Order: sequence, then structure tokens, then C-alpha cells
Amino acid sequence: MITVNNKHKLDWYEGMTVQDVLDKMDYVLPLITVSVNEQLVQGVDYSTYEVPDNAQVNVFHLAHGG
Amino acid sequence: MATITKAGPKKYEISINGKAATVVEGTYLLKAVMDAGFNVPTLCHHKDLTPDGTCRLCLCEVEVNGKKRLVTACNYPVRGEIKVNTSTEEVKKHRKNLAEMYLGRWPNVEAIQNIAKLCGATDKEKYKSELTDENPKACILCGHCVRACSSFVIQNILGFAGRGIKRHLTMPFGEIDPNCIECTSCGYVCPTGAIQVADNMNNPADPELIRRHGMRINAMMATLDKAQNRMREVGTANLVEVMDSYDLLPVHNYRFGKHPDTKKIDSGVMKSQYFTQDAADGCWLGCSMACAKAVDGFELKTGPYKGQKVIVDGPEYETAAGGSNMGGFDLDFIVEYNFYCDTYGVDTISFATTMAFVMEAFEAGIITEEHTGGKTLKFGAMDEALECLHEMARGEGFGVEVGQGTRRLKEKWAKELGADPNFLNDIGMEVKGLEFSEYVTKESPAQQAGYAMAMKGPQHDEALLIFFDAINNQIPTIEDKAETLYYFPLFRTWFGLLGLCKLIWNDVIPPSNSNYPPNEAAKIPERVEDFQKFYEGMIGEPLDEEKMLQQSARVFNLQRLMSYYFGRGTREEDIPPLRAIGPATVEEYLSREERYDKQMKEDIGIDPGGKTVEEKLVITRDFRYKHYNQILDAAYKRRGWDHNGVPTVERLKELGIDIPEVMALLKRQEQ
Repeated sequence: MITVNNKHKLDWYEGMTVQDVLDKMDYVLPLITVSVNEQLVQGVDYSTYEVPDNAQVNVFHLAHGG
Repeated sequence: MATITKAGPKKYEISINGKAATVVEGTYLLKAVMDAGFNVPTLCHHKDLTPDGTCRLCLCEVEVNGKKRLVTACNYPVRGEIKVNTSTEEVKKHRKNLAEMYLGRWPNVEAIQNIAKLCGATDKEKYKSELTDENPKACILCGHCVRACSSFVIQNILGFAGRGIKRHLTMPFGEIDPNCIECTSCGYVCPTGAIQVADNMNNPADPELIRRHGMRINAMMATLDKAQNRMREVGTANLVEVMDSYDLLPVHNYRFGKHPDTKKIDSGVMKSQYFTQDAADGCWLGCSMACAKAVDGFELKTGPYKGQKVIVDGPEYETAAGGSNMGGFDLDFIVEYNFYCDTYGVDTISFATTMAFVMEAFEAGIITEEHTGGKTLKFGAMDEALECLHEMARGEGFGVEVGQGTRRLKEKWAKELGADPNFLNDIGMEVKGLEFSEYVTKESPAQQAGYAMAMKGPQHDEALLIFFDAINNQIPTIEDKAETLYYFPLFRTWFGLLGLCKLIWNDVIPPSNSNYPPNEAAKIPERVEDFQKFYEGMIGEPLDEEKMLQQSARVFNLQRLMSYYFGRGTREEDIPPLRAIGPATVEEYLSREERYDKQMKEDIGIDPGGKTVEEKLVITRDFRYKHYNQILDAAYKRRGWDHNGVPTVERLKELGIDIPEVMALLKRQEQ
């Protein structure tokens, strides 16, 4: 089990990547910053960075809009 | 959602001079080579400009599937596993030859001399000709200025004319173009000093400081926007599909936050079928974000201009989301109501939100065709909604009632039709008499307060906190929310005071932002620094965040006092309708039952099991309003306002605005 934004619980599985978490949460905004256990993950690594079990994943969306 | 790409970029293992490097697909070879620690000479490359490979100095040898060839590294995108050699004998020979040609033409330009040295070129006479320019600040035809004019401010005033050795920099017809906006981008990127900037406008204290930070913003727009919000490409319309994904797009008078038909009105459809000019457009010539869009040749189907082809300015996000709020998932309808609102001088947000309220009232049986002049005003009744708009403009029929706005309709229908005033207040989305703008706020208490406390009513200009709260969970406590409700409106007020665009602030995010913790990152520190430097460059006084907030708070508190004086700036006027803070109907509760039940159990501490939906609605409403009032108390306290939301005398003194005229406002209202 992993926790997203100190709020949402997701079932963990072997090989789960940051991109998998984003897909699962339907997080599509381009302006995001992601950290896994307080370690910043660069955008180019989302599809390869593996999230460990029990991880705290923070997906920080930057406010924008008209 | 065709416009959103979720898959991450590919990476390739490449070899550069025998050294292994991992490169993201599409990275230009020059960057990969430099990142790997190898130096390659170039004259025409600039980090903030689109590469075009004109100087040819960055030639490298690339081996793909055993085949070797020379490429210009600056505009060669890596798309596979390649072997690169940056200094073969052939490469070195070509570079030396090129450098000697440059040296023969511009022997005294420092940038050329440096390149010649790097390439081992020393013979100035080899290619000397009658066109040799001895000026140490000669134009070397690198093209930086031409590209900056095009990509920084989207103007294309500068260009090249002539061929071969006669190629030269010019404006159209060799004359000074009156359309040049004197942005100075060309001078900023010129590597030789051939373009000199004469600062003679408005007497700024430090024009160079303003230019430096202005160009930092321009460069970011040119390089990052296309991978972020695509403001130049589709404007704020990019939010349509984003908001739908996050359950925040208003649908059917804010009852729901998404709809399967959103794909019919998203930015992808606008781009491919409606936006016609295929160019960025701005509020003013030279804006480097240029997010305005237009639909040309749109044939109107209704109203006084029926059958005519017109140009429509927009639609932007709020207008499209107004469409979904009325159940109008059809861009023909959205563009048409956009045009007529603009033509009649009606705000698209107020029209759409009021119309959505009317439609819900119709479906609830509060009003019937008898009241609407025979119009069946259900959600999705687009022709009927347009007819209301035309009636409003003509001052006829039911449109006159719609034109009164949501607040007056609530009062009227309660009084004249005997409708339940509580229900009308629950679903009529207005505060202070202004209709809500187009975001669903139910899961964001900070946004609810940001909207409802806003001076002129629930609009997002003053506070757009919806992601902070509902999605990021970055301001979980009441005090966190109060702090955000303190600084965010002051930021936005200050931007407004200086005429700085809020979209420039946080719609293109600099890479440095990832160096900050979330609550600091939310302020976009680098951009705020740019704005503060504009102030310093103009006025001559340095500015920090504290001083900026202080300046803003003086105006902000004065505005609140004026609002108070006119009977709006009190707690009573800061309370949003139920639908803004949670579900108002059984249908709404059931549509997100799992979410609400979970919150009831975890946040309220009540087991929803065995309770009717009606009972759960009451429990949810009471909890959320209580929570909302706690946030309001904390926000008032942080702002230095009393329990009723009025600035205290102490706060006015602290801000230095306890002048007799201001104090008189306070006293006259209290009396």
C-alpha cells in the first residue's frame, strides 16, 4: 500500500512506477512536481522510477488558470 | 482527452567520444554533448532560441546503424542509440575552414576571434574580400535577433534579405517598421553589440534590470510553454480537459465535476476545428504568452446577425466551462453565446451561471414554460438559452428576468412563486450578487473561502486555491488555509496594482521551482522575483515579499472597507451557497456517494450505514458549514479583521491607512 498526498491509499505492486501512480490517480496536469519518500523525481524518470511499497508519494500540482 | 499525453519520454543510451550517456528522446545533440562535458564551437546557437544550424560550426560525426555522416549538433534531435564523435579530423578540417571564412569577413569581432582560436584558425587573409567588415561590433548574421523577434514576442519584424555573401539583416522593404514594439529582445540576444538599445522611454531607474528579468520571462515562454500549459497554442482552454479529469469542471449548475461529452468541447477540438488564425495573440502586441485565441468566419445561426460570418474572440476556459455548466457540450453553441455576450456587453460567466441556475429551477418545477415564454429550459437546451440571451439584449420576455442575475431571481421566485427560499439559496451560485466563475469548489474549503471572501464576489482572480486544497492536500490545517487566504489575494492584488498579468505568474513554471518545498513553490519564487525587479527597475527601490504584501494590504483593506461601507463587506456576505461547499441534492450525493460516505466516517466520525441519503445530506451540510466558518474565523484573524470580517482599527494603523477619511468610512457605516 502506498499513500498519495497524505490522503489517498493505493494498492502497491512490484514494478509500480511514478507514471503508474499518476495514471491511477488520473493526474494529467503538466505542471506537477513529484516526490517519493521526499526524494524529488524528475519528469523524464516518471515511467522508469519505481515506487517502493509503503511509499509516501506527493504529487504537487501548481495552481494556474485564467 | 486527446490532447493530454501521459506516457513518459523514451531514453537512449548513446556514446559520445567513447563516453556513455543517457539522453531523453528528442534532446538536441549539442545539449547532450555539452552535458557530457565536451565543448563544441557554435556562433548561432542560443540556449533560449530555436536552433537553426546556420553557422555550421557545431558539425559532429554521427554513426547510425554503422553509417557515418556529419550533422549540425544544435538541431539534430537524438532519436535512437547513436555513436557520436565531436572531433574527427574531417570535422576539425570543416570547422577550421568555416572559422577562417568568418575571420576573413569579420576579423575584429570578439566572438569570431574566440571561435577562430577554438578551431585553430589564424589566417585572416585567406578569405578576405571587398565585403570584409573591420567593425568590431559588426553584425555576423547569427540570426539570434531574428529568432528572438519571432519566438520571444511573436512579431517577425526582423528578417534576412539577400543571398550568399549579400545576405543581410533588415526590416521589411529596408525601412524602419512602425510595427516594431521596441521590446529590445533583438538587442538582448545580439552577441556582438551590432544592435544597440537606446533607453529613452518612461525614464526607468534601471532599464537593464527590467530588460534582464523581462527577457527571462520571454525566454521561458518561448521554451517551456509548449510542454506545459500550451497557452500560446490553445490559451486557457487547456483547462477544459484538465478540470474534467479532476472532477472540477462545472456540469449542470455545478452539480457534477465531469461529463463524458467534455471531449466534444476540449482544447483539442477547439484547436483542430475552431481556432483559425493558427497564431498566438495577446492582450497587447508583444505579449510573450499571447494566450488569446480567435475563431474566424464563424457563421451565426441565431440573433440579429444570423447568417453573417464573424470573428469571435475566444472561447477561453470559463466560456467553454459555462457551456458544460448549462449542459451545452457543443462548441458551435459555445462560440455563438461567446460572440453574442461580447456583442451585447454581457459577461459570459454571469450569463452561463445564471442560465444554469434557471435550467435547474426549470427541471425542479420551480418555473415552467408559462414563466419562460414557452421555452423548455432543461439542461442542454442551447437554442433556448441563446433566445434568452437575445431577449435579454432586446429587453423582452423571460430574458429580462434572466438579466437580473441569480440573486434577484432567487428573491423574486421565493416571493412571487412561493418557491422554497432555502433550496433556491442552496443551488443559486452567487455571493455578493455576483455569479460564481466556472470551478467546482465542493472539495476545496480554501477555494470556497477564496471565492466567497473575494471583494467583488466569487471570481478566481483573487484566489485560485483549488489544487492546493482539493488535490495536493498541501494546506491541510485551518491555519494553513488561513495563511494561504492571506497571501494569495495580496499577491494577486499587487499584480493588478502594477498591471502585471497573473497568467504570466503561474502558467509557465521555471525549472528552479522544483528546488522549493510545496508551500513556497506555490508562490513561484523566480517569477515573483522578476516582478519585484520590474518594480525596482522602474522605481529604483528594492522590494521584498514583506514590503510587497504590505503595499498590497493597504489597498486590499481599503477595498474591504469600501465594500463594508456599501453593505457587502461583512461575514454575512462571505458565506457561499450550499452547492459551493458540498452536495445540495440527493442526486448529487448519490453521484459521489462513496466519497461522501468515506468522509462522513473518517472526518466527521459518523457511520453512514443505515442512514437515509436525506439524513446524510444534513450531516454533511452541517459539518461542512461548521468547518467553513472555522476557516473564515482563522482567515479573518490572519488578515487583521474582526469576527464580522471588518478590518480592525489596529490593522489600519499597522498599515498606515488610519487616515481621517478612512476612519470616517468605518464610523459612518457603524453608525
